[in-house]
Amino acid sequence: MPSPPDAALRATLDWLRKQPSLRYAEVRFVDTRGERLRVRDGRPEQVTAEASRGVGIRVLGAKAWGFACSPDTSEGALLAAANRAVAIARASDAVSRAPVVFPGQAAARGRYETKLAIDPFTVPLEDKLGALDAPVRALRAGDARLASAEAWMDWTRQDKRLLSTEGTDVTQSFTFGACGMHVFARGDDGESQRRSYPTWQGGDGFQGGWERIHALDLGAHADRVKDEALALLVAPPCPSGQRTLLLESSQVALQIHESCGHPTELDRVFGSEISLAGGSFLQPHLLGNLRYGSPLVTLVADSTRPGGHGTFGWDDEGVPAGTRPLVDRGLFVDYLSSRETAVRVGRASTGTMRADGWNRPPIIRMINVSLDPGEAGTLEDLVADTDDGVLVATDKSWSIDDLRLNFQFSCEIAWEIKHGKRTRLLRNPFYTGITPRFWGSCDAVCGADDWRLWGVSTCGKGDPIQSMHVGHGAAPARFRDVTMGSAS
Amino acid sequence: MSDLLSLARDVLSEAGEAEAEIYLCVAERGCARFAGGELGQHMQLSEPQAVVRVAHGRRVAEAVTSRIDREALVLAVHETARAARLVPEVEGFPGFAGAGGATGETPPRYAESTATATPEDRVERLVPALDAIRAAGLVSAGMLETSRSSHAIATTHGCARSHDATIASFRVWALETPGAGGAAGYGGHLHRDVRALRVQEEAERAVRICKDSIGPVSLDEGTYDVVMEPEAVTELCEWLAAIAFGAPEVEQGTSPMAGRLGERITGDTVDLVEDPCDASELGFGAPFDREGTRKSRVPLIEKGVARAVLYDRTYAARLGAASTGSALVPGGIGPTSLAMGAGAAESVDDLLSGVDRGLYVCRLHYVNGFLEPRRAVMTGLTRDGCFLVEKGKITRPVGNMRFTDSLLEGLARCDGMTRGRKAIPTWWSDVGAFVAPAVRIRALRFNGRSQEGWR
Repeated sequence: MPSPPDAALRATLDWLRKQPSLRYAEVRFVDTRGERLRVRDGRPEQVTAEASRGVGIRVLGAKAWGFACSPDTSEGALLAAANRAVAIARASDAVSRAPVVFPGQAAARGRYETKLAIDPFTVPLEDKLGALDAPVRALRAGDARLASAEAWMDWTRQDKRLLSTEGTDVTQSFTFGACGMHVFARGDDGESQRRSYPTWQGGDGFQGGWERIHALDLGAHADRVKDEALALLVAPPCPSGQRTLLLESSQVALQIHESCGHPTELDRVFGSEISLAGGSFLQPHLLGNLRYGSPLVTLVADSTRPGGHGTFGWDDEGVPAGTRPLVDRGLFVDYLSSRETAVRVGRASTGTMRADGWNRPPIIRMINVSLDPGEAGTLEDLVADTDDGVLVATDKSWSIDDLRLNFQFSCEIAWEIKHGKRTRLLRNPFYTGITPRFWGSCDAVCGADDWRLWGVSTCGKGDPIQSMHVGHGAAPARFRDVTMGSAS
Repeated sequence: MSDLLSLARDVLSEAGEAEAEIYLCVAERGCARFAGGELGQHMQLSEPQAVVRVAHGRRVAEAVTSRIDREALVLAVHETARAARLVPEVEGFPGFAGAGGATGETPPRYAESTATATPEDRVERLVPALDAIRAAGLVSAGMLETSRSSHAIATTHGCARSHDATIASFRVWALETPGAGGAAGYGGHLHRDVRALRVQEEAERAVRICKDSIGPVSLDEGTYDVVMEPEAVTELCEWLAAIAFGAPEVEQGTSPMAGRLGERITGDTVDLVEDPCDASELGFGAPFDREGTRKSRVPLIEKGVARAVLYDRTYAARLGAASTGSALVPGGIGPTSLAMGAGAAESVDDLLSGVDRGLYVCRLHYVNGFLEPRRAVMTGLTRDGCFLVEKGKITRPVGNMRFTDSLLEGLARCDGMTRGRKAIPTWWSDVGAFVAPAVRIRALRFNGRSQEGWR
């Protein structure tokens, strides 16, 4: 881990402790470095090394918060930033009516580090580019209609040190990765179809090392991916109507993200995110009362699962990682919350406050929000158990209303299912629904063998926007009477 | 010469035999974010960013760092030079920009009053707006931001440019409830000078729309003639920018412009131009891009005909075109100052007068344009004001609805635009804004109602 400027951090915290107007303060050092690699059609489209380092300071005055930051980590610069944070809190105090209620938290101490076998930052750049170049060439080979192919690999190492006036002192070191590929096939009529592996770009993240790249084995999937892209060029559009819908695992993850993860964020519930993302239909009077889904639907927030994109030791308010059900056998039972918001519903924080870097304040973010596996066996068992339906895979577009109720997602590919068998491919499928009605129609969830933990690298929230790593575990699932259509 | 430009040129002297390019940007943002009638997040955000590119012949590597000091930048140049030796050649890479190229007047983009705004200044400007919304019995949310940024670019071929900008923006919601839905109204304004920000007027607009939105009726799915405010139009244009105008999407074949330059792709009322040099109050773009290429006006769609796409230096060289100065920070190619041409209608009321039965849409939410990019099929929802229009007049509020339609086919049915236009900040670029009039589109397809029947 890069050395945090310990003396400067402590001096800043000591200075903040002496400010009589402050009720709380935290000083958060963040050092992030990364690597973004893209190979497109045989050429390096992007070879970028990233580095970012600085300190964020959040203070709670008599009534309101203030936040300031500095890329200069010297003691003088941090004291100046602390001064700015205090001045901002004072300026806001002057016009605030109700003081922020901020319950205390036991001091946290310790260290968290991503478990990995091979440090990706020790792997030579040539090996990484080679691991992307070979599958790209395979994706383009054999048919002139394979118009363009791309493979990507992202690595991020983020080291954090959090000190607070409550005595919290925690150090964390994360290693995030993401890797995948896609190909575009183009027909003579201008039709263009994309197929991706392992899923849509941005949904293929993990916490771990280079060993995960070996496990993905891009090259082994190239033939299937390009064959499907070519087949989609001549596939009929997905018919419109009410259908039995099967979602493969990564699409269930996307469904969880948009229709469970976001609406359970308690800051949205209270209207704090109106300026970008909107509110939530999951208002406090529904807590413990709303049937969110069928009894097969149990959704759990878990920041402890190894390898998860939303796994950590402590959040950015010093709350330790934990596991809490959000939906228990269909019943809505909890929120993703912070210390400030949880107390408003009479609960303790679920420990979800995170900032995406040193120059942003922490806000409530998803951790790993996952659907518990069910008892429907494998995806092929589920197909065999379906008389008439449509199986869709790999998200292509996503849209949901400002309360997280009306959603519409389109996917790269669909298969019609008749009498327990996949029959023909269908192109440009989309499905739409209302969140609790949709989850209420879930009548099968596949088992642990087909359950997989996915990672979203680019979850956007906040204003100015912050991009966060979050995780979703999911097995394929089946939903009845879903409205489907085609974008063709 | 700016301090940043001096630093960049100084560091370039350390590049040795390699070609190098350094883009530096330092932004300081003061963001007073409010919700539930309170200042919940009031922030000072520093956003320093250096983009260092080094090339050995056509082998190119890049580093992006937040550390803008000589020692860190020299290290970045040396490490990037090492990385560049290890990567394959980039087909078509033409080298970094030289000292020549287009010149021109630098459009006005800076106001000292914005650059020096303090937390107290922001609070002082906000308070009357928060009070007005509270006095109306409604709940406020939004943000008032004052930001200043300095940009500089230098290359070992002699390119040297710098630019300073300020942006003051105000976005405000008046809400029936603080997060549970119900009626909502929006107002917003963008200006380089915080003193010109229309805080009170936009808050009053938000209140008016919110109050008019109380008690919505539910409409059937189907096609409706629609009058959209500029905020809704620019959200659609943002998605068109993402899928249509960049050379990579054209080369890949996924853009609706691919293979169709010179063809009519939408209605003849539609002009879309990348206009970064607009010197009026609607202009916010920087005069050069991340590679130092001087930006110029690029007509993309003229009277409905696809005319041009946007390039950086590498794509331009590879595809036989000239760079349009469209290399984005930190990467990618696209517009920062997309502007839709104005029409002849004097006002939104004029557009409404031509609607027998349709919708007046103030904003859109969560539009997505990846459904079928070749046709620019998009879906999204209305938000913060949707009204039924009957016989040319707004008659009642409508619950939010989902549309799914091809934007290009929709714009082919556009038969009215206002003379007045508005600048709306793009959510991905802090130095750009899109400009649009209000438009009238016939027979837009709506396939869902937002929140009906879930309980």
